[in-house]
Amino acid sequence: MSAVTAIPLRKPASAVPALGRTTLLLLAPGLLLLFVIFALPLLGLALESLKQYVPGRVGSATDAPLTLENYRELATPSFAGVLYETFKLSAAAALTGLLAAFPLAYCIVRRFSPRQRAACIGLLVMLVLLSMLVRTYALELAFGSVGIARPLLLALGISPTSRWYIETLVGAGLLHAIVPICTLTLLGTIQNIDPRLCDAAQSLGAPAWKAHLGITVPLALPGLVSAFLIAMTFAISAFVIPMVLGKGRVLFLSNTIYTRFSDVANYPSGAAVSIVMLVISLLALSLVSLVRPRKGAGS
Amino acid sequence: MNNAVEFHGISRRFGGVTAVDDVSFSIAAGETVALLGPSGCGKTTILRVIAGFERPDAGTVSIGGRNVTALKPYERNVGLLFQHYALFPHMTVAENIAYGLRHRGADKREIPDRVEAMLALVRLQGFGARRPHQLSGGQQQRVALARALATRPSLILLDEPLSALDAKLRQELRAELKQVLAAVNSTAMVVTHDQEEAMSLGERVFLMQSGRIVQVGTPSDVYGRPDTRFAADFMGRTNWIEAQVTRRETGFARATSRSGLSLMVPDCSSDAIDICVRPENIVLSAADAADPDGMANSAKGRILNVALLGATRQILVEMPGGQQLLVMQANRVGDGLDPGKAVRIGFPVAACITMPASNRAAPNASI
Repeated sequence: MSAVTAIPLRKPASAVPALGRTTLLLLAPGLLLLFVIFALPLLGLALESLKQYVPGRVGSATDAPLTLENYRELATPSFAGVLYETFKLSAAAALTGLLAAFPLAYCIVRRFSPRQRAACIGLLVMLVLLSMLVRTYALELAFGSVGIARPLLLALGISPTSRWYIETLVGAGLLHAIVPICTLTLLGTIQNIDPRLCDAAQSLGAPAWKAHLGITVPLALPGLVSAFLIAMTFAISAFVIPMVLGKGRVLFLSNTIYTRFSDVANYPSGAAVSIVMLVISLLALSLVSLVRPRKGAGS
Repeated sequence: MNNAVEFHGISRRFGGVTAVDDVSFSIAAGETVALLGPSGCGKTTILRVIAGFERPDAGTVSIGGRNVTALKPYERNVGLLFQHYALFPHMTVAENIAYGLRHRGADKREIPDRVEAMLALVRLQGFGARRPHQLSGGQQQRVALARALATRPSLILLDEPLSALDAKLRQELRAELKQVLAAVNSTAMVVTHDQEEAMSLGERVFLMQSGRIVQVGTPSDVYGRPDTRFAADFMGRTNWIEAQVTRRETGFARATSRSGLSLMVPDCSSDAIDICVRPENIVLSAADAADPDGMANSAKGRILNVALLGATRQILVEMPGGQQLLVMQANRVGDGLDPGKAVRIGFPVAACITMPASNRAAPNASI
């Protein structure tokens, strides 16, 4: 037996190859497209948010002076309320969705036959692609204030017009969309975890639940974080769900943005709300993505 | 309590397929056995039944005198060494080794000492703070061994322990594995499809075929005295000569092969026989040389081709009647054994293993 020799601790991060001409040529269409349809309009939006609003006018005047007035106007309790509502419901729905999706994804990957797996994935993809409007109205018809479930709700002493019920309904609407998305995201994560790790843990004396808590969950952490981020991003920017199910009592930022642009035609203010939403979302997401598993996990 | 493991009448079916068919065996305390068989023969199912991951449809499993058939994996103290190590990637080497100790309720203050002792056992002192991905394959395998042995299991199961390693490392680790298992005096079962691994690690070999154990014996027994064509073929390369017994004399019989060779074979009861001759038992000499000493069977042939394997060569010799014989010969300098050359082959009576030709129809005899 040779002396114990350590192999190099870590391969040096593979050097990024310099961008050749061909590479640049291949990247150009995509970059151009992104610039024209993503960066440019966003820049315009940011600019608009700094323009002065002239009541009665659609959009700002081209020569209007730059001002921070549109942002100052947002520092009100009512706007903060909308902000808080959006993030509270989104985070709750994303977390609940994650908790529901993880066992579902685990079951699909580990317990189902290939045929059952394919059927489940097909169903989930269909759910994701189905019109949000249709799904939301279906929920409203079932559980809304005049829905089929109304007698049951009343019998249980639940008022279908109470604020908490409407909030729950909006949360349920978000969940409805989040669960399939999270499940699909987590499939790959779970697929990549060696099932023998759990066997090993059990042979070492850990009951199945402890094995999952100590092995499966930490190893799935990167996947769980990205699934949460996707769910959160989706929920924050939800528009149809709070509009239909919230009935004006629960307002999300997107609904406020829509009102400013379409109902009162205050473009500068709508733009300002949009920018605020963008910045806060990015901040929240980068904060969550700081949750990084320890080195070596899931590699 | 003499037997560490008792397997009694175990059967396990999956749908319509019987993976394990009424298998019984026992392993003595401190013994290392090898469960050997081709893939799909049911050996992995047996491993999973012993470990508790599969519930048998019939039969009982006892470990250390206790019936564990209905117990969950974590309620048995069976160590498992996985083919691809299955080390926990998010834990250090020390945490990996301590995992079983923590969950088997070891005294917290004693865990660090035990981890150190295990690291010393597999000669990885100072590696406790590393992560599995910072170790080579051989080192990872040794950590897995330390982890499995840390809880002093009543039985350790090794699933293809060496097959993920390259050939050179495999030989080193094989010796070390044997040494470590002897050092802790553990009862062990090696599950493998590799007959070399089975013969080198196991004190006894259990040969499996189609869900049943077809032969049990020491490695040299199973290799040298196979009961069936399957066993002979699975344990190593063989030459098969179909022959008819023509005359019986004291201690041996004369037979004529289908291709016309006259042979002397050990006495046997049936007339239509298959003769198995291992390639390493055939000696080559110059065609015009006298019959080599002690070689009761001798004939002239011609070399068809030579495959060089390093220290040895596999030489295919064609006999006049068309029978081809594979010969394993040391790779010596300048012996001129080249294709096309006429040679004389010879092998003693004792090198012939005879089987009734009726054995030929054994299920799945071909591999």
